[in-house]
Amino acid sequence: MRHFLIVGILVVVAAILTYVGLDSANLMPVAASAQAVPIDEMWNLELIFMSFFFALIVVPLAYSLIVFRRKKGDTSDAEHMEGNTKLEIAWTVLPLFIVIAFAYVGAVNLAETRRVDPDAIIVKVTGIQWSWKFEYPPYGVVSDELHLPVDKQVLLQMTSTDVIHSFWVPEFRVKQDLVPGRITELRITPTLEGDYKVRCAELCGTSHAFMEKPVVISSQGDFDEWMAEQVKLAEQAAATPGGRGQALVAANGCAACHSINGAQGIGPTWSGLFGHEVLLTDGTPVSADEAYIAESIKAPQAKTVAGFEGQLMPSYGFTDEQIADIVAYIKTLR
Amino acid sequence: MRKTNYVGRGLLLLVIAGVAGYGIGLGIDLLISNTLNFSGSVPSAFALLLAVTAFFFGLYGYRGITRGLTWQILGTVLGALFVTGVRALMGSSKIFGAFLFSEPAWVFGALVGVISFLFGVGVVDDWMKWARGIDTPEHHEDEPGWEKYFYVSLDHKVIGIQYTVTALVLIAVGGLFALIFRTELAASQLQFLTTTFRLFNQTGPQLYNTLMSLHGIIMIISILLGISGIMNYVVPMIIGAQDMAFPRLNAFAYWLAVPASVLMLMSLILGGFDTGWTGYPPLSSRAPLGMQMFFLGVFTAGWSSILGSLNVIATVVRMRAKGMSAMRLPIFVWASISTSIIALTATQLIGLSFQLVMFQRLFGMGFFDAAKGGNPVLFQHLFWFYSHPAVYVFVLPGLGVISELLPVFVRKPLFGYRWIAMSSLAIALVGFTVWAHHMFTSGMNEYLRVPFMYSTLLVAVPTGVKFFSWVATLWQGKIQTPTPMLFVLGAIIVFLLGGLTGPPNAAISLDLHLHDTYFIVGHFHDTIFGGFVFPFFAAIYYWYPKATGRRMSEFWGKVHFWMMTPSFLVLTLGMMRVGLLGMRRRIVDYDPALGLDFSHFVMTIAAFLIGLSVLIFFINFFRSLKHGEPATGNIWNSRSPEWQVPSPMPVHNYAVPFEVVGEPYDYGLPGSKYVEFASADKVSHSHS
Amino acid sequence: MTHTQEKSSMLGQGVFIFVYLAVLTGLEFFVAISFGSVPLLVVVALIKAAMVVYYYMHIYKLNLEQEGDEHSYEYKSGTNRLGLWLFLVSDSFVFGGLMVMRINLLGLTRPDLNQLLGLAVTSILLISSFFMNRGETLMHNGDRRGFLLNTAITFVLGLGFLLGVVLLEWRLAIHEGLTPDSGPAGAAFFMMTGMHAFHVFTGLILLAVIMANGRRGLYDEKNYPVEAAAVYWHFVDVVWIFFYPALYLIGTLA
Ligand code: HEA
Ligand code: HEA
Ligand code: CUA
Ligand SMILES: [Cu+2]
Repeated sequence: MRHFLIVGILVVVAAILTYVGLDSANLMPVAASAQAVPIDEMWNLELIFMSFFFALIVVPLAYSLIVFRRKKGDTSDAEHMEGNTKLEIAWTVLPLFIVIAFAYVGAVNLAETRRVDPDAIIVKVTGIQWSWKFEYPPYGVVSDELHLPVDKQVLLQMTSTDVIHSFWVPEFRVKQDLVPGRITELRITPTLEGDYKVRCAELCGTSHAFMEKPVVISSQGDFDEWMAEQVKLAEQAAATPGGRGQALVAANGCAACHSINGAQGIGPTWSGLFGHEVLLTDGTPVSADEAYIAESIKAPQAKTVAGFEGQLMPSYGFTDEQIADIVAYIKTLR
Repeated sequence: MRKTNYVGRGLLLLVIAGVAGYGIGLGIDLLISNTLNFSGSVPSAFALLLAVTAFFFGLYGYRGITRGLTWQILGTVLGALFVTGVRALMGSSKIFGAFLFSEPAWVFGALVGVISFLFGVGVVDDWMKWARGIDTPEHHEDEPGWEKYFYVSLDHKVIGIQYTVTALVLIAVGGLFALIFRTELAASQLQFLTTTFRLFNQTGPQLYNTLMSLHGIIMIISILLGISGIMNYVVPMIIGAQDMAFPRLNAFAYWLAVPASVLMLMSLILGGFDTGWTGYPPLSSRAPLGMQMFFLGVFTAGWSSILGSLNVIATVVRMRAKGMSAMRLPIFVWASISTSIIALTATQLIGLSFQLVMFQRLFGMGFFDAAKGGNPVLFQHLFWFYSHPAVYVFVLPGLGVISELLPVFVRKPLFGYRWIAMSSLAIALVGFTVWAHHMFTSGMNEYLRVPFMYSTLLVAVPTGVKFFSWVATLWQGKIQTPTPMLFVLGAIIVFLLGGLTGPPNAAISLDLHLHDTYFIVGHFHDTIFGGFVFPFFAAIYYWYPKATGRRMSEFWGKVHFWMMTPSFLVLTLGMMRVGLLGMRRRIVDYDPALGLDFSHFVMTIAAFLIGLSVLIFFINFFRSLKHGEPATGNIWNSRSPEWQVPSPMPVHNYAVPFEVVGEPYDYGLPGSKYVEFASADKVSHSHS
Repeated sequence: MTHTQEKSSMLGQGVFIFVYLAVLTGLEFFVAISFGSVPLLVVVALIKAAMVVYYYMHIYKLNLEQEGDEHSYEYKSGTNRLGLWLFLVSDSFVFGGLMVMRINLLGLTRPDLNQLLGLAVTSILLISSFFMNRGETLMHNGDRRGFLLNTAITFVLGLGFLLGVVLLEWRLAIHEGLTPDSGPAGAAFFMMTGMHAFHVFTGLILLAVIMANGRRGLYDEKNYPVEAAAVYWHFVDVVWIFFYPALYLIGTLA
């Protein structure tokens, strides 16, 4: 009996200490969305359970190891004890109730995170190896950055052009895969102004690690300003082929592989590419003229530059005009 | 037997053949693609294959495994040449591929290679004879000494050891891969796996993905082999059978695993693959050639696991000793049955899902190709229908080992035997209904997620029963802590950590944050180590004397434990922390702004300490074969039948069969016995 | 009942079961072309499968008590029987997976295939099962010649099915533009028939083996291998009992 009493007390103490310890270790990033609130509540609930059951198992185990250690020279067996059906039933049924209650809470909690605001802003998101493309339908703006006004729910309608990606901003908690051939939705209500990053959470190939883009949460005013700016830039760009090309390049995340400053990348750099000789894998030199660059965009595997074997660039299905624009842009990168 | 240094001879040939192979490869590569690519795949491929084969040749001569490997190489090349020839005749434009042969040629060749291995090593000889109507003796006697471990033996104990050692080698390989990529992760920014780095036609980041994926799958295969090892060695022995029900099938299942391992290494060299061990399409339908080798390797290893578990079930159902009723089975047998039920059935689904992707790549069949009306998410359902139950395949035998050893070292009956036995079955069966908890963010039907949360959490209940019963077994026992017991206790605590971090993932809303982060990585390293690695080591330290008649060094065993456990806890708790703070899985580099550099540095140190401790284990393991202190008796003072006869175990196990006359774990019940050996004359007729 | 009666009744049973199966198949086809009710088709398929599993594969033999100690041929055959059934359970998960794939990708639509050819090959496989059962029973009764004859017929029919599917059906399908890479329908069709054809092929090899060894009188008393080959053959038939409606009968044309 004495043993039970001591262990009982120790369990409670250990449980509380574990919980306090874990709780004060602030293990979660800042919560910057309405959805983060219920999720952090759920996490807190989990911490309580984990601490309790951890103590419940580890304390008696440690206690037995110390107190019921076999004494030196003692070769006798312990007292024979087969089992106890009442106990077994108890520790089957109690956890059963706990998990059912738990799952119920979990379901309610999930519903919390999926609250629908009928007049949410809609942003179309496209995942591309290895970049993000955000379209703001009402403004007709396309960008590789996500800018949102604070305290307004946004509905992300997401898809992918190549492989599965996953939209995740740790500070917003919620996560959703982008699946080719279908549109998945995610609702987020940013509640904290600041600069964050969307980090692709589903392995999507070579540069998965670097598939990160800025997410800027600002006041409605700043947001409108940025948007106006973007609209203006878009108009200017649309005027010249090079500008249109640059816009396409930005929107399709070509920079994920091709640097424009000569830096080494997954694909050949574009700086000073136009009009120069490049060496192909089979050793033949070709001069990078309009035709060559256009072909390399249309059919990336047709000619491979030496040193980039095994690098499979996706073909983006641009129209010929678009390709002409992009070539025009590359021309400017002397 | 005259004394020559076989290992030395092997290593010498290994080096020579390696260099020669590399040269040949370079030459061929030069001929085909007229470029001299030193970091290319073809030279390394030749080097690897020839070196491994040459090593075994030096060790062992041209028989058994050497012959198998030679045939596998020849089979692969001939098969590939065949397809290449056909394509040439059909005037196909792409006769050769980036890796010398085209992809179809490699796939067909690899398949032929596996089959050739099986013929070469000689596991199918008897079946071929039977098919031709020639009868063969029930058993083939093995030659004494170490040779028998390198050719086809039908003795379940030999096969068990073959499995176990292969598993250890794979853990070493997979672990080395882990140490390599952990080193890259020690600090943010790319250290040595840079974009300019080139090896096996892969850039640094690609190589990271390959190593990470291979680490996962090689470790998983090593688990499957490890549990088969323990089950093969222990189950027939503790149920009083002379051997497995189907000795030839047993050998066949083991020898499938060897070509499978070769394929895994081939996948590293042939361009690797960057999908993780889960191989989700569409990524896997675009990945380099290594993907196909990976698929074939898993496929082969999967069949090994299926046939092995079939054998275990048949053995337990048909070959138990007299009086061994269901409730008098050793608890480990219950665990083995539960595991085998899963492995027998579910494994087919991972084979199928991978086969479908293989065919999508080879024949353009658009199962998972959205552009062709396929459904990428379907793959995930098929895949996880195996791969979740699989995680219980990993742990159930381990938990069985815990339940089996606890009473021995606590000198007290296993508390609630029936409940523990049934909980294994319950976990196995419920485990079939929870797979979609890996897909909460996949875009599957929103509302189906909730029932899967319920079923997933349900698994906590039978698992809890085990934990509580274990604690109750320890309670008021007379606890001793030799090395095996240390690992049992370590297993309980580590698995508890892993288990308790399961429900958070099961809670859908919370999983939206946790999915594909290092929190998950931490979760499953805890469950896997607690459920497999620790119990596996415990089992090895415990049954080593039974197999060898010597025991492993107690001192170095304790060093192993006290070095591995704390560093492991640091590693996985660190993983969970960084995961919660935003560290994604499967990334070669992380954003310095996350401020996780220090944590990662510490985790890498911990990883190397684990590696070192395992290295110590390896040395202890091989050294004790010769220098271990002799232990031929019932050193653990166990009631289990195998310890009632002297070690090492005789070839056909028990000279006289035993009868079960009591409960298995009645420690502390004066005068009680579990088994009673029949007196020699009574049994002379039934024993052959 | 006396031994001779039992022998003949076993054969008679084979006939009856075959008649039932044939009628059900006819019904199946009729249901499909007239008012294609999916539940009904499923029920019919289940009944057919159950009959084959019980009467032709005599699953009940699993829980026969084998007399003799564990070294007797009977006992060992019992173990082998269990092993074979475990294998079939495992294998059926492959076909289950293929079925899930088909339902997920095609739903209630089906590829446009040649109905008559489908019915023809299905009947051929069914008839082959009948002769297989006959051959096995006769070998059981110690009639070697009868066994060889019926097994040979089974082999020929099986070969007919294989060629019918791979040479005719696949050719026609490709001709109609239903190629493996044409879309989900093509992919599902070729994958399912392909996997099944592969099993038929292995079954044929087993048949060839037991015929060769049977000729040398290996099975005159120790005849488990015959049973094994037969059970495997019937299993392949059972699979087709589900695949046939799944590919030819269920739902509307894609
Ligand atoms: C190796 C064995 C193993 C085991 C045993 C488990 C056990 C469990 N796992 Fe784990 N899991 C993996 C291996 C394992 N897992 C792997 C490898 C992955 C990642 C795969 C990949 O993506 O690569 C994974 C991923 C994974 C996910 C997906 C996460 C994601 O990717 O988003 C989920 C989600 O539900 C999950 C849940 C669980 C649960 C609920 C258990 C439960 O079985 C745990 C039950 C045990 C306990 C709960 C502790 C003891 C119980 C008590 C003390 C009783 C009282 C407790 C309560 C009432 C709560 N696991
Ligand atoms: C049995 C299963 C198992 C084991 C034992 C381990 C062991 C280890 N794992 Fe493993 N791991 C997985 C299964 C396992 N892992 C799986 C399934 C994944 C998921 C992969 C995926 O995402 O697809 C994964 C992923 C994974 C990641 C995430 C990678 C990523 O997402 O980017 C990390 C990162 O730290 C990691 C680290 C480690 C470390 C440091 C060890 C250490 O314990 C290793 C310690 C070292 C050794 C055990 C080697 C010792 C041997 C020697 C030093 C040489 C001796 C040589 C001779 C004697 C010849 N693992
Ligand atoms: Cu996109 Cu990872
Ligand atoms: Cu799971």
